[in-house]
Amino acid sequence: MNTFTLGVRNAFRNATRSLSIVIILGLSIGLSLVMLIAHQAVGQKINDVKSSVGNTISISPAGFVPGSEANNALTTSDLDKVKSLAHVSALTETLNDRLTTIGSATFGRFGNSSPTNNQTSLKSPINLSDVNKQGGGLHVMIDGSSQLPSNFSLPIQILGTNDPSHLDNGTDITIKSGKAIDGNNDSNNALISTDMANKNNLKVGSTFTAYGKTLTVAGTFDSGTKGGNNTVIVSLPAEQRLSGNSGDVSSATATVDSIDNLESATAAVKNTLGSNADVESSQDQVNNTIKPLENIQSVSLYSLVGAAIVGAIVILLVMIMIVRERRREIGILKAIGGSNSRIIFQFMSEALTFTILGAVIGLIIGIAGGGPVTNTLVTNSANSAANSQQAGPGSMVTRMGGPGMGFRRPTGGALSRNVGGIRNTLTDIHANVGWDILAWGLGAALFIAAIGSAFAGWLIARVRPSEVMRAE
Amino acid sequence: MLKVKDLSRTFQSGDTEVAAVDSINFEVPDGQFASIIGKSGSGKTTLLSLLGTLEKPTGGHIEIDGKDVTSLSDHALVDYRRKKIGFVFQAYNLIPNLTALENVMLPLSFEGMHGTERKKRATELLEQVGFTADQMDRKPGRLSGGQQQRVAIARALANKPSLILADEPTGNLDTETGKMIFDLLHNLAKTQNTTIIVVTHDLSIAGKTDKSFTLSDGKLVSK
Repeated sequence: MNTFTLGVRNAFRNATRSLSIVIILGLSIGLSLVMLIAHQAVGQKINDVKSSVGNTISISPAGFVPGSEANNALTTSDLDKVKSLAHVSALTETLNDRLTTIGSATFGRFGNSSPTNNQTSLKSPINLSDVNKQGGGLHVMIDGSSQLPSNFSLPIQILGTNDPSHLDNGTDITIKSGKAIDGNNDSNNALISTDMANKNNLKVGSTFTAYGKTLTVAGTFDSGTKGGNNTVIVSLPAEQRLSGNSGDVSSATATVDSIDNLESATAAVKNTLGSNADVESSQDQVNNTIKPLENIQSVSLYSLVGAAIVGAIVILLVMIMIVRERRREIGILKAIGGSNSRIIFQFMSEALTFTILGAVIGLIIGIAGGGPVTNTLVTNSANSAANSQQAGPGSMVTRMGGPGMGFRRPTGGALSRNVGGIRNTLTDIHANVGWDILAWGLGAALFIAAIGSAFAGWLIARVRPSEVMRAE
Repeated sequence: MLKVKDLSRTFQSGDTEVAAVDSINFEVPDGQFASIIGKSGSGKTTLLSLLGTLEKPTGGHIEIDGKDVTSLSDHALVDYRRKKIGFVFQAYNLIPNLTALENVMLPLSFEGMHGTERKKRATELLEQVGFTADQMDRKPGRLSGGQQQRVAIARALANKPSLILADEPTGNLDTETGKMIFDLLHNLAKTQNTTIIVVTHDLSIAGKTDKSFTLSDGKLVSK
């Protein structure tokens, strides 16, 4: 029987105590592994999100206040400078406004156009009752009265864009009939949603009025949302002309040729536009979005280290207790020729046996609990983040765009689309148990055994063999 | 040959220095059976610890087979103890979770002997002290005091030491068993040419040994 075997056998000298130690270590290593799994899964998600977010820069007028008529616009000439910057490969510009419908209140406007010439003959496909059904709690007062005219209709968003393939919040549209419009061509052609076409008995080729001009339905689309379908899309130059905001742009999204150049390009755009614009890269927005995940990553890392340390302390105390109990035996071993190193190795083998058995239990706990714990952490964190966002000021403005609130905050096209999509998949995290987790479990067991045996080893070395004679 | 020259061991007790062993000189030739007697606190156990290199003396020298063991390093002492010295304790001091056979194999494993050879040697030793195959597989808890002491003697003999030190080997045994253990040690001294030094209170045992030393207050008062 060699020293290692002797150590392993010693681990089972007191079955009840050994079982208790192994269970405590198992829980410690298990918690550590669960946290490692969560840490890795969340870390992987963060990396995926960061690498998939794209390379876009959101540009909006500086200090934009939703609903305020005092908002300054970006200008096409400002943005032309951005277009010419190195690494900027594309620039999507939008100008959005809100059309008042018959019977609706006067709404805030963008820029300097008169509030009286933005009327349209269209009716919104959204009924007021639909809004209230959704819990929007919308209360509309016209001229101080809550009595609405029988022909009341919610206002309609009009979007001028040089990229009419999606809305200004990044939502892609699907052309249902007719054809898309050229976003750079100044014409009175417009895209309206199928819902709006049905509501107003319009089809491709039909006309309607806006800003006192006649616009032709070039095509119909579906955005997938009621709010999105309450939008008229025209080309950017057309909207600038119709709204009287010539050369103005309410938001823009610059696409950078490579993610590696995103930071430098963002700095260049900020330098170019100075204090006129708020500039935010997709990475900046994603960093805010993934903050809950990063918090989980930190918490799981601290928990992982804490659990491993607790395990080490447990085995340390256990080994100290065992060594103190067996001082006489250690003295005997030394008296009959056992060296310090050999006896320490024997006790290390004992500690290792405890921790390996603990690691087996820990692995079972880790494999069983890693996924559910990760999902719970992520879901709770995401819900908390969502709740805090909803509770924040102005949330109704950005979500509902209610009357009297004016324009929605420009959200930056592709960037917004990416971030929105990411937010939806943020909780979709898969915790996997790979060889690295198993290796970590074994490594943690070895670490715990080594730490736990270290002080015990020191105590063993201090036991004098003559003590066995004194104990007689 | 065991030679002890001016051997001293002092301890600090508060401000006072106590001499547990005080300038002792004696010699025991190879293969002799010697006893050390004395009252409690006379320094017998300390002397045995010094002879067994379990403690280092504060003065003097111990020569075993011509080698001064007091000058050896701690590491060398472990080797020396394993190869040259065997211990038999009053309370047997067997490892409780090992069988009789495994207890005897333990010092052989420290010596690095191969498993099969180790088992063979341990079996021979246990047979030599009168153990049956069935008894060899018992743990100490299932052995009588006399049987445990015989295992301890077999363990002490495992690495063929030139010196066996026994501290009250019959102290926990009845008279008959004590006599049997004494006879066993006596025979070993003669048949294996091993020097055996026994610390005892039992004057009847001391009277039967080849040499007897009496200690009083750390000093050798008679040889």
